[in-house]
Amino acid sequence: MVWEWAARSGLWSPLLFPSLVKIFTELGLFFTRGASWMEAWVSLQRALGGFALAAVVGISLGMLMGRSKFVAGLLDPLFSGTYAVPKLALFPIFIFVFGIGSLSKVALVFLECLYPIVIMTYAGAREVNRAFLWSAQNMGASRAAILRRVVIPATAPFIFAGFRVAVPVAMIVVVITEMVASADGLGYLVIYALSSLRTDRMLAVVAVIAVLGYLLDKAVVLARDRLIYWEKLDTYYV
Amino acid sequence: MAAAKASLLVAVLLVWQLAPLPGYILSPAEIIKHFAQALGTAELYENIGASLARSVPGFVLGSFLGAALGLAAGVARWFDRMLSPAVFLTYPVPKIVMLPIFMIWFGIGDLSKVLIIALACFYPVFINAYYGVRQTRSILVWSALNMGATPAQIFRRVVLPSAAPMILASLRVSLALSFIVMFAAEMINARSGLGHMIRVAENSLRFDLMYVSLLAIAILGYAGDRLVRLAHSRLLAWQQPTAA
Repeated sequence: MVWEWAARSGLWSPLLFPSLVKIFTELGLFFTRGASWMEAWVSLQRALGGFALAAVVGISLGMLMGRSKFVAGLLDPLFSGTYAVPKLALFPIFIFVFGIGSLSKVALVFLECLYPIVIMTYAGAREVNRAFLWSAQNMGASRAAILRRVVIPATAPFIFAGFRVAVPVAMIVVVITEMVASADGLGYLVIYALSSLRTDRMLAVVAVIAVLGYLLDKAVVLARDRLIYWEKLDTYYV
Repeated sequence: MAAAKASLLVAVLLVWQLAPLPGYILSPAEIIKHFAQALGTAELYENIGASLARSVPGFVLGSFLGAALGLAAGVARWFDRMLSPAVFLTYPVPKIVMLPIFMIWFGIGDLSKVLIIALACFYPVFINAYYGVRQTRSILVWSALNMGATPAQIFRRVVLPSAAPMILASLRVSLALSFIVMFAAEMINARSGLGHMIRVAENSLRFDLMYVSLLAIAILGYAGDRLVRLAHSRLLAWQQPTAA
């Protein structure tokens, strides 16, 4: 309401506050055009591709670090030391190494998502209840059986906490890299609309990105509640 | 263990140094040489100053607002009902998409960048402050009430100390975020700063400058993280350090 009033009052130029009607018209246009679905699909592919790679590598590394003191001693200083360093700064170099197409973006998404997943998996795998491990060993479980039946279920809540941090990060990195250097994807659409001073169109794309980020997060929470039915999610750790 | 770590580091550096690399990947020795050269020029300091002038106010503003509003939402139920749904709904939305909008509203100068950094820093601090307050053990509050403490005293002596660890933990996250967003904003649109420097270097194929800017931002990020962790261990001396 306030927005619509501000838009119509004429106090500000429509460039600053386009009316909601215009934004929704643009949103309708966005969804009826096949080309914009393609752009959204490109962005989504990049985000999910990098995230999936990071999930596979991150969980394996985190598990190894949690179960082996030697690996933890080698990798923990590496991860905690470079944690606060913005990996985004590597993007220009990634462009030269992997090309300006999707690969450099997926590689950067992978790198940024790897940190939360490794750190959380490591924290989880380290804190598996000893009593469970001992009883499993006592009952003659093989190492593979212990990993599958004890360690993985005990670590799963931590892994999903890592996923919840990593999914928004994946979206952020995709949008940023598309804004900086790209000719396709949603981030590019935002910058393109901005450069052509189509604020209404830009806000429509921003809304699409926002909804996409929200839906991805919901999907992670849903998957978590399905898979880890024994523990309710009540605190939303960041 | 220490020997294994050191030998791994040396091995990686040796391979990096000796491997036949394409022109766009510099060897460690070259990077250090260029960085030492850049330390002698004013350009690097100007860019670092410009970057910090954006990220530090944004970080302070966002974290302060996040902590204040998060504490308020944790304490006052009407405030919680008013604010929290909006915050939790917009939390997973990538905040950097607001940058173009902020650029239109607040100009393309530093103000829009400081505000977008503040926005990004706000969320983790708000959420941790909120849950920090909510996790206060009710028995402590009841005992304080029983001993005749005023609401202000309870807030300062019971609620605040119990929320402090989570707030300080979130500062680490928001500091890392502030550097990411600062760098992104400068790469997208700026005339100074480390992000701008790396863009210029990229466009003019000055690989040496690219690595100088990269190393500078890495050092800044690492130093900032150390500072927050130091503050954490100083302020919360009674608490055992926990894993990040």
